[in-house]
Amino acid sequence: MGLVEFVADTASRLVGGRGRSSITVPVMDGPLKPNDILENAPVELEYAGVDNLLVTDEDLFFSSGNRVLRKEPKYEPEIYAQFEGEIMSLAAGPDGSLAIGLDKGGVVVRARDGSQRCHINAETANCPTAIAFIDADTLVVCNGSRKTGAQDWQRDLLELGRSGTVLRVDIATDRTRELAGDLAYPSGICLTPDGAIVLSEAWRHRLLRLPADGGKPEPVLADLPAYPGRIRPAGDGGYWLAAFAVRSQLQEFVLSEDGYRKLMMAEVEPDYWIAPALSSGHSFKEPLQAGGVIRLGIHKPWAPTRSYGLVILLDGDFAPVASAHSRAGGRHHGVTAVEDIDGNLLVAARGAGRLLKLETRSLKAISDIAGGENAL
Amino acid sequence: MEAATRLYYRYFPEKLLGEVLSKRWSDNFVPAFAVLLVIGFFLARDPGFFSLASLTETSRQLAEFSIVVVAMGIVLLAGGLDLSVGSVFALANITALICMNLLGWPVWATAAATLAVGALCGAVNGFLIGYLRIRAFLTTLVTLIIIRSIVDIILLRYAVAISAVFPDSDFWFFLGEGNLLGLPVSFLVAIAVIVIWHVVLTRARFGWHLTAVGGGRRSAYNAGLNVKRTVFLTYVWSGALAAGAGLFFAARLGSAGSDTGVGLEIAALTAAVLGGNSLGGGRGSVAKSVLGAIVVLILTDSMVRIGISGGISSAILGGVLLLVVAIDVRWLKNRHKILNKVYVSPSYFKLPDMPETDAGSGSPYALNDRLRSVSLIGQGEIEGPEDVIFDRADNLYCPNRHGDIVRFFGPDYKKWEIFAHIGGHPLGMAFDRDDNLNVCVGGMGLYRITPDRKVEKLTDETNRSFLSVIDDSRLKLADDLDIAPDGRIFFSEATIRYDMHDWAYDALESRGNGRLICYDPRDGATRTVLRNLQFPNGVCMAGDGESFLFAETWGCRINRYWFEGQKKGRCETVVPNLPGYPDNINRASDGNFWVALVGMRSPALDLALRKPGLRKRMATRIAKDEWLFPNINTGCVLKFTPQGKVLESMWDLGGVNHPMVTSMREHKGYLYLGGLYNDRIGRLALDGADPDWTSQDFYWGGKNGSR
Repeated sequence: MGLVEFVADTASRLVGGRGRSSITVPVMDGPLKPNDILENAPVELEYAGVDNLLVTDEDLFFSSGNRVLRKEPKYEPEIYAQFEGEIMSLAAGPDGSLAIGLDKGGVVVRARDGSQRCHINAETANCPTAIAFIDADTLVVCNGSRKTGAQDWQRDLLELGRSGTVLRVDIATDRTRELAGDLAYPSGICLTPDGAIVLSEAWRHRLLRLPADGGKPEPVLADLPAYPGRIRPAGDGGYWLAAFAVRSQLQEFVLSEDGYRKLMMAEVEPDYWIAPALSSGHSFKEPLQAGGVIRLGIHKPWAPTRSYGLVILLDGDFAPVASAHSRAGGRHHGVTAVEDIDGNLLVAARGAGRLLKLETRSLKAISDIAGGENAL
Repeated sequence: MEAATRLYYRYFPEKLLGEVLSKRWSDNFVPAFAVLLVIGFFLARDPGFFSLASLTETSRQLAEFSIVVVAMGIVLLAGGLDLSVGSVFALANITALICMNLLGWPVWATAAATLAVGALCGAVNGFLIGYLRIRAFLTTLVTLIIIRSIVDIILLRYAVAISAVFPDSDFWFFLGEGNLLGLPVSFLVAIAVIVIWHVVLTRARFGWHLTAVGGGRRSAYNAGLNVKRTVFLTYVWSGALAAGAGLFFAARLGSAGSDTGVGLEIAALTAAVLGGNSLGGGRGSVAKSVLGAIVVLILTDSMVRIGISGGISSAILGGVLLLVVAIDVRWLKNRHKILNKVYVSPSYFKLPDMPETDAGSGSPYALNDRLRSVSLIGQGEIEGPEDVIFDRADNLYCPNRHGDIVRFFGPDYKKWEIFAHIGGHPLGMAFDRDDNLNVCVGGMGLYRITPDRKVEKLTDETNRSFLSVIDDSRLKLADDLDIAPDGRIFFSEATIRYDMHDWAYDALESRGNGRLICYDPRDGATRTVLRNLQFPNGVCMAGDGESFLFAETWGCRINRYWFEGQKKGRCETVVPNLPGYPDNINRASDGNFWVALVGMRSPALDLALRKPGLRKRMATRIAKDEWLFPNINTGCVLKFTPQGKVLESMWDLGGVNHPMVTSMREHKGYLYLGGLYNDRIGRLALDGADPDWTSQDFYWGGKNGSR
């Protein structure tokens, strides 16, 4: 930062927050206009910690804690595999291989018969937040942060973590190559039909496009009002984006307050930090914001909230066209995974421990009304 | 570092900035500063300007000019504009000279005639603008031209004759050039005019009507004011005052020049607006007009003295007018924004570590579900029952946010009626010995409702503290009360810095903004007994006849104050470091006390209380709805002994039935719960409580008996 910029920046901080010190969060409007679709979605399955959905030919896989579970229609889920660390990410290859990202445990790739094909050690990938197969022998892995693991994503946010990387892994040789670094918690990854990689950079609230063999990332969707997570292809050429929490002015403000931020991390239990969460309202010790006060028995749905449920439908160019919400005071918060199957969307609301089934037709109907030209 | 923060916020009066800005007189700072600047500048340039002779001459000019500016200020205050003051001034000058020089009238008759001519001109303006509703700008522009033409016609015929005669009156010269007590006569008269108009505008009915009409014509009309007449009168006064100034001018110079009063309206307008009178009306004062007059007069005079030519000095004056009008518009638009930003003034406050509240921790505060089984009264039918109380016939009374006292009929509390309407937001209630219901009303004060439903005001003000910037004599947020055996009513005022609907923002300050007040019905006196308390809330007599308990909500503690006896005047903490924010306190049947916790502490906020700068920045930078807030969505009820030991707690986890508890009242074996933001009253059966005990009988004795 040059001297002039530094002086201007300091001045704008002092006069009450202008320029880069201003605290603005984009409003949810247009395709992101709030609704109750996600809150009212039928519950397919209740399972604490449900995350990482994966659909193969007929089965549904999901993770919970350190287990991978398989669910066949009309049956209770059964344990398919179990690991030592918490499972952070899952991906299935075209040949039926399964890649599993483990909290502080690297990435394990297993062939269909259960044999281990490759293991990337924890030093390279200690926080594998998302995995995608480029082909049967190549993976791309988002490593959210060098410092912290799965449980500590809030700490990474509050520490203004900028240590995320995207790795390209050659399964046959175990070799990894860093495609991009200095990312603010990359937390979702997806391949486009033209072979590029699109990833979500959570703490910078945007999606980035990256050439498959590395290069300079370019934003394709910026200024989201939420922290973007997993990206999955939608049936007809678009994409589903799961946002695991929403931004708030108070949050952005606290991020700019170094002294308080550090003191809070040092003295307050993580559950009660001013930080986004997958679910909230469990204890009165959680911070409350003025709009969240219950009046005459009603918790206002517009209230600022620590947790939120949000799934965004993007078109082929990553422009939002529709969204499903579970607003303040709702239950279906903390959506960490989505999967499009047969015109329905499976949504893992990890904050609620619920698997939801959303009819995508209802969402697409909204998109037709909301923005005709953007519609799929 | 933290110690430095603590000391800074303890001793540096940061809150004064916001309080000063919230005062109307803070508008005067800019013109007052301008006065000093202008005087300083010309003192440096030309010390001769401030010689005695020069000052006397200047003060005569100033007297005339400031009277005209005051006239302009009056019209502006009522939302109008009078461009004809210059012409009226000239007409008055010529009228006075004709009366004195040609007609030979005595001075008093001359003065009366001159003032009458001015008032008549004003009346024409006033009639056209006030009653016919023609625009002030156009009307006075036209009368400016017409009156000026009349002056010119008169001058054409009589100018020579006037100049030829020299009036033979000592008093006339005394008026123009004489001194009284070492000061020019006109200057003294101007001071009298200024003082009288200051009193009229700030203290008299007419002045308040003016301000009301200028501030909002429609509202003034709706409030029943005679808007047309008020507007009419402002122009009459403006004309009369301008004529008065013309009279002094005539007496001083005796010249019938044709340029008398030319451009005076622009100079007066510049002065009035420069002083801080708003062009839009509703905001202005005599002091502002005078300050503006001083600046403009010194400016124009000094420009002449240092040799700036007339054309350029007019241009400079015009430039000043443009500038101050621009400032006026911007200031008016942004003042409340600045005020919003600086009013919240947090201070340093460190709470001890929060006591354990986890279920199964063995702490008296351990979470439980005992309030979940409450039955609900009036669900969805009442709004904001902050307190609940019972009369001797077991009827339940609660306030609501519409300013009513609602009465639910016992024994099932299904039917209800509006018992009385007070207004404001009634909060804490207490019955006295004679079954009058005494109520603290947020926004209004202390009221009493007699058994036959008559509403009487007991008090709405207390003694103002000596060095307080904001007026702390009015009761802003009377909160809860209890009555001593001798009939004295002790009540809390939660904060003097926030109004009823902003009460919780006081938590962000965590300073002692509240106080305890005593109303003595024997002589009707109201007196503040204890100041600088952190949101004093529930008040409950301790039972010894000489002390009471009160809660300090943001301080998370319960104190005891002795108003009588050996420890008179002392205040001691009884229960320190509560896990939440205590609200109302009431007696329990077993000799202990109930206290409601209106909300719970959260670690993030407790930490923020140690960071006043953080809260200040939060208040300026992010929207109100986003502010970190005390958690008033969860509450509980505690029971504690008179010695301060907390015995038990009752919670409603998740707040399904009772999200907020601000008060509770034990009555015949049940506990009744009120909540400021609730739409219901909770009723909970108490195990082992005396089924016949009522607070009313316990404290005041049985129905017919005395204590």
